[in-house]
Amino acid sequence: MAELPRRIIKETQRLMAEPVTGIQAVPDESNARYFKVVVAGPKDSPYEGGTFNLELFLPDDYPMAPPKVRFMTKIYHPNIDKLGRICLDILKDKWSPALQIRTVLLSIQALLSAPNPDDPLANDVAEQWKTNEAQAIKTAKEWTRIYAVNS
Amino acid sequence: MGSCLSGSPTEDFTRLRTEDSHDLESTPTRNNRRSSDSHRTGGHQQRRTAYHPTPGIQRTASQLSEDDQVKIAQRIGLIQHLPTGLYYNDSSKKTRECAICMLDFEVGDLMRFLPCLHAYHKDCIDDWLMRSFTCPSCMEPVDAALLSSFDG
Repeated sequence: MAELPRRIIKETQRLMAEPVTGIQAVPDESNARYFKVVVAGPKDSPYEGGTFNLELFLPDDYPMAPPKVRFMTKIYHPNIDKLGRICLDILKDKWSPALQIRTVLLSIQALLSAPNPDDPLANDVAEQWKTNEAQAIKTAKEWTRIYAVNS
Repeated sequence: MGSCLSGSPTEDFTRLRTEDSHDLESTPTRNNRRSSDSHRTGGHQQRRTAYHPTPGIQRTASQLSEDDQVKIAQRIGLIQHLPTGLYYNDSSKKTRECAICMLDFEVGDLMRFLPCLHAYHKDCIDDWLMRSFTCPSCMEPVDAALLSSFDG
């Protein structure tokens, strides 16, 4: 079994010691590269009041390659598709090894506050967002209530 | 913009967990850095055997196209032009930690210095520069002018 790089240990320790407000990231007991993440829907966004589960995986070549992150909770967002895949530049071509789990999660939190329908992943959602934003926000709120509010 | 839609539809987000098994067979990489630094001036890439002609694309040497081989050879040449040196203790320095491996710099560590004045462990930054010729901290192209003259 490959030894866990010290960077991953250090990042995990810092995440535990100084968590990001509204974000919880806990490594899996059996695999320290796999994190269960819970993001609180940002205030004044259609996702407010919801808690969104994500999974984050650090590939073998992390930090040379970005973490793989996916929403497990259904969400109505132009940059997140129905499989939970996220369209975020720093998770793709704008990745840099100076970025960290913390910065990635902060960026995802910011994406919830500021959807970007001009760079869509979910085309139908983006279309709705551009043509009828009020309706899109209403749907996003509904989905939040249905899928992201703990019963 | 819109780059996410052009990505391969088979891109693997749905099987994050199955990748766990890779842990078992992955090779040790940077963990033994300190013990073997002095012998690894140019051997880093060879040892890894995986090349990244463009970020996110991984190829073994035999899978590389001729163009990619040329590109990689040029990149290796460009990297060699960037100054290196040993870390020494200087209380005026702010950076104490390598932004890539997140280990504290120690006196005698082999460093590489980029034109933007950011510095990293040589092995850490060389590994990255082979993937992307940008500074991880400020995202500045390491030497856009030099690079474009090579790329044509």
